[in-house]
Amino acid sequence: MNMSSNYAKEGDPVTKSYIKKNKRKKTRIILGFIIPALVIYMIFTIYPIIATLNYSLTDWSGVSGESDFVGIQNYINLLGDSTFWQALQNNLFLVLVSVFLQIPLGLLMALVLFTPIFGKQLLNIVFFLPYLMSTVAIGILWLFMYDPSSGPINQLTEFLGIGMFDWLGDPNLALMSVLFVLIWQFSPLYMILFKAAMVGIPDELYEAANIDGANGFKQFVHVTFPSLIPTIVTSSVLAVVGSLKAFDIFYIMTGGGPGTATEILGTYMYDQAFINFNMGYASTIAAAMFIISLIAVIIIQYLDYRRKKKGILI
Amino acid sequence: MKNKYTLFGLASSLFIITGCAGGDLETNGNEEADGGEDQSSNGEAIDFWYIETGEAEEAILNAVERFEEENPEYTVDPLQIDNDDYKQRLVVAMSGGDPPDVFHSWGGGWLEEFVKGDQVKNLSETQIDSDRFVDTALDNSTFDGDIYGLPLSLSVVPIYYNQEIFEELDLSEPETYDELLGIIDDLNEQGYAPFALANRDRWPGSFFYMYFAERLGGEELFEQAVSGEGSFAEDEYIEAGEHVQELVEKEAFNSGFNGMSYDEGQSRQLLYTEQAAMIMDTAAFPNSAMDEYPEFVDNIGMFLFPDIEDGEGDSDNLVATISPTWSVYEDSENEEASVELVNHLTSTETAEEYAETSQPPAIEDVDSDDPFVNEFNEHIENADYIQSVYDQALVPSLAEVHLDTVQELLGLSMSPEEVAKMMEEEAEDTRD
Repeated sequence: MNMSSNYAKEGDPVTKSYIKKNKRKKTRIILGFIIPALVIYMIFTIYPIIATLNYSLTDWSGVSGESDFVGIQNYINLLGDSTFWQALQNNLFLVLVSVFLQIPLGLLMALVLFTPIFGKQLLNIVFFLPYLMSTVAIGILWLFMYDPSSGPINQLTEFLGIGMFDWLGDPNLALMSVLFVLIWQFSPLYMILFKAAMVGIPDELYEAANIDGANGFKQFVHVTFPSLIPTIVTSSVLAVVGSLKAFDIFYIMTGGGPGTATEILGTYMYDQAFINFNMGYASTIAAAMFIISLIAVIIIQYLDYRRKKKGILI
Repeated sequence: MKNKYTLFGLASSLFIITGCAGGDLETNGNEEADGGEDQSSNGEAIDFWYIETGEAEEAILNAVERFEEENPEYTVDPLQIDNDDYKQRLVVAMSGGDPPDVFHSWGGGWLEEFVKGDQVKNLSETQIDSDRFVDTALDNSTFDGDIYGLPLSLSVVPIYYNQEIFEELDLSEPETYDELLGIIDDLNEQGYAPFALANRDRWPGSFFYMYFAERLGGEELFEQAVSGEGSFAEDEYIEAGEHVQELVEKEAFNSGFNGMSYDEGQSRQLLYTEQAAMIMDTAAFPNSAMDEYPEFVDNIGMFLFPDIEDGEGDSDNLVATISPTWSVYEDSENEEASVELVNHLTSTETAEEYAETSQPPAIEDVDSDDPFVNEFNEHIENADYIQSVYDQALVPSLAEVHLDTVQELLGLSMSPEEVAKMMEEEAEDTRD
């Protein structure tokens, strides 16, 4: 009774304050949920980013208390540093491989698992297995796979009459060899993403396509693929950012060598920070990685935004 | 009703998961936090970081125990850290202002960076007896005449060979470099890889370069290049690079060595499976073989890198790595006790136990019944000069250039002249 009368007289100051109070209460609850995560996020993510930007403006060894403020000198040095450009080039190559090989392969594996193929359960496990292993184990496993004299891969290539290759020791092959392992390791991640997205595509679309006379391939082009575009965008963001901050598999398998053949920003930053005692310069490399990732993500998001605005698909 | 139970189950399992994670985090944090607290409150616990594993670890923990028995008012918190992680962990601990009281290092340029940052205690001012150490080993942690670390082991680098293969092919230990080249040819003819090399890690290949440089230019070459009197672009260094490439062209190494990992045993494996006949390695090799393939140990012979005709070096001179070296943190609250712990860690008793792992001690007059240690000790006594490996002795950034360029030299992707030029350019930056 009281309630309904309250709603009836909306201009009433009592009602206003009631709504306000209600809103404030809601805000408080929402804040209550956000704050714990926010505090942790600020301390462990935002603060280190700002601190890194700050260090990147100093000449600091990382062990002594003293650090000299040098302004943007580190950034100027970075632009003239041939190893940095070599590393960046390797990283960009890694991005291309991730986006144009890992994601399509993940999509292909997901598609295979949606066909009524024999032994689907087994394939499901086999496809996903690499992603479950720890990177260190994978790195060591593939060191032995690539072993020049007794590794299975060279045994195979020799058996096939192609000859033996120096997979990790030859500067022209080393990067490819590591990238192959990365594809092997990370394609299952995209497979899972695509599988989840495919489950979400309504059956009605396929039924309608069927009635219109679309065969399997046409159904993929006109129904499945368009429905997966948001997942492809998300995967691309993951792939780009993941490739730019890659480190572990390279550190384990080649350490950036031979020479600088497989040097990437992550390994170069590690060397500068912990081997060469240039924490300031290492921070500059980290800052550069951050900026490049940020730009890449902004571009992808902008393209996606334009696509949505034009309303091309979904 | 059913839903309620599921929810309850889910909630409690979540609780357990997060609880466990939280617990882990806490204990991890405590290891470091504890040290800090104890230091400030009652000054009784000493944090101690080391990297040894297996038998060597036992020798070190026994030394810690002896210290605790003699100094019951102190307890030691030993923390074993993986070799791979160690450099990173110590740099972070130092910059975070919460390092261990006593810590491991390899001496040389890496330790010197901490010394420059005023993080390491000058041990010359404390109660140590520096006379008992082999000079080269102690020099590795002496900067401007002050001692900043005490070494336990001096790991010399000989060439090891498979005695059976040598007997079978009627080969004998070479006296000169030309004889070594002859052996390489003979082994190649019989289908063996002469040297096993896993050079992903870069330092195993660097031994060859250092030995060539020493045999050609003598002990002065390196010292003068470091000080700036000479340079890393001297003719002898270029010649050393040429010899390294000569070996590669003569197929003195197994194929694909630049991509193979020493740590994962990919070079030693070639030796055990008799695909290769020789390996240049530190004193750690017999102990690794003992672990990995005990039957092989009796088959190991060793000789030193031979003389080169017209070279100024001496075939008795050695290349060696020094590890471990122990130092004390500058602002340690338990300075005296920490120094005392370092003394225990480098005592004759500890060295004797450590020698059971076939690693020669950096301390003089240590008795051992290990045949390898006795042979190492003999070499150490005969040597006029012991070259501490470049990647320890040099400033870290220059050491990196050295390791990178020698890897490229071995990969034939850089000429000896280019290597010399790059080394000298970086060296110029590091000389003040």
